[in-house]
Amino acid sequence: MIQFSKEQIYIVTGASSGIGEAVAILLNELGATVIAIARNEERLNAMKEKCKYPENVHIEIKDLTEDIDGLPKYVKSLKEKYGKFSGMAYCAGLGELKPFQLVQYESLKNLFDINYFAPIFLIKGFVDRRNNIGNGCSIVAISSISALCSDKGHTSYSASKAALCASAKAIAHEVSSIGIRINCVLPSNIKTPMTAIGGEGYEDSQKSLYPFGFGEPDDVANLVIFLLSNKSKFISGQNYVVDSGGVR
Amino acid sequence: MKKEEFLTELEDVLQREEPCKETDDLNSYEEWDSLSKMAIMAYYDKNFGIKLTLKELKEVNTVTDLINLAGDKIQ
Repeated sequence: MIQFSKEQIYIVTGASSGIGEAVAILLNELGATVIAIARNEERLNAMKEKCKYPENVHIEIKDLTEDIDGLPKYVKSLKEKYGKFSGMAYCAGLGELKPFQLVQYESLKNLFDINYFAPIFLIKGFVDRRNNIGNGCSIVAISSISALCSDKGHTSYSASKAALCASAKAIAHEVSSIGIRINCVLPSNIKTPMTAIGGEGYEDSQKSLYPFGFGEPDDVANLVIFLLSNKSKFISGQNYVVDSGGVR
Repeated sequence: MKKEEFLTELEDVLQREEPCKETDDLNSYEEWDSLSKMAIMAYYDKNFGIKLTLKELKEVNTVTDLINLAGDKIQ
């Protein structure tokens, strides 16, 4: 049984919806203190209302792409406000389905800002020895199955998620000496506002690829919680596919 | 660069919670590991245009030794 204490403080980004919301709620239910970050205050408050111990959920309104270079300092400011962190789940992200011929530098850059640069610089702040508790710390970054197997319209999205996996592996090597683990979770289609970009009929069209259908955010959150907990203390630098039996 | 400024920057490069002093023995720092040495190499290259080698850093024992490696770039 996985349990956390309220002294264990976890950052969850993208906590207002989808996988981030599910991770924040579950972490809180299991006893941890959650620093829930997202842009939308209303939805963050709605998430907090669903939590079992709302007094252990602290909301931070932030657009992570606003000042990416300043993210390490932002993590430091959160540490000064709440204390040293035990872990982080980076769940913020943006999807894009766009034929290659329509890809523009600006849109590619925007996608990389939220899917790659923001997590990298947030992790940079997190792994600063002064901001975390050291031994036992764990970071989980939500990547995507697209990082491993691309499809039409995924030129930008796949690249941004693959870059995240590649960097996470290198970072895992660097931070193991200070007791920090980092892993990526690579979901396939999960029923979230982000995957709704496929529109009506999208799930049916994907049935042959994903025999168990589209997943729920909790299907991913359960794995994220395991990787954040000390039950996975032997695991770092790995990519975990959660793909509805697609077996890729 | 002034010595005091370098000591503050060193504290940041090594991610130390305690201030760095000239007389400190780097080997007594918990943070003085291979990764920190890589960070020092990158810092010297970027700020002083000095390419340190791991061999040179192996011979460094105190903060003063580190300062001496910068020659007249730290005063």
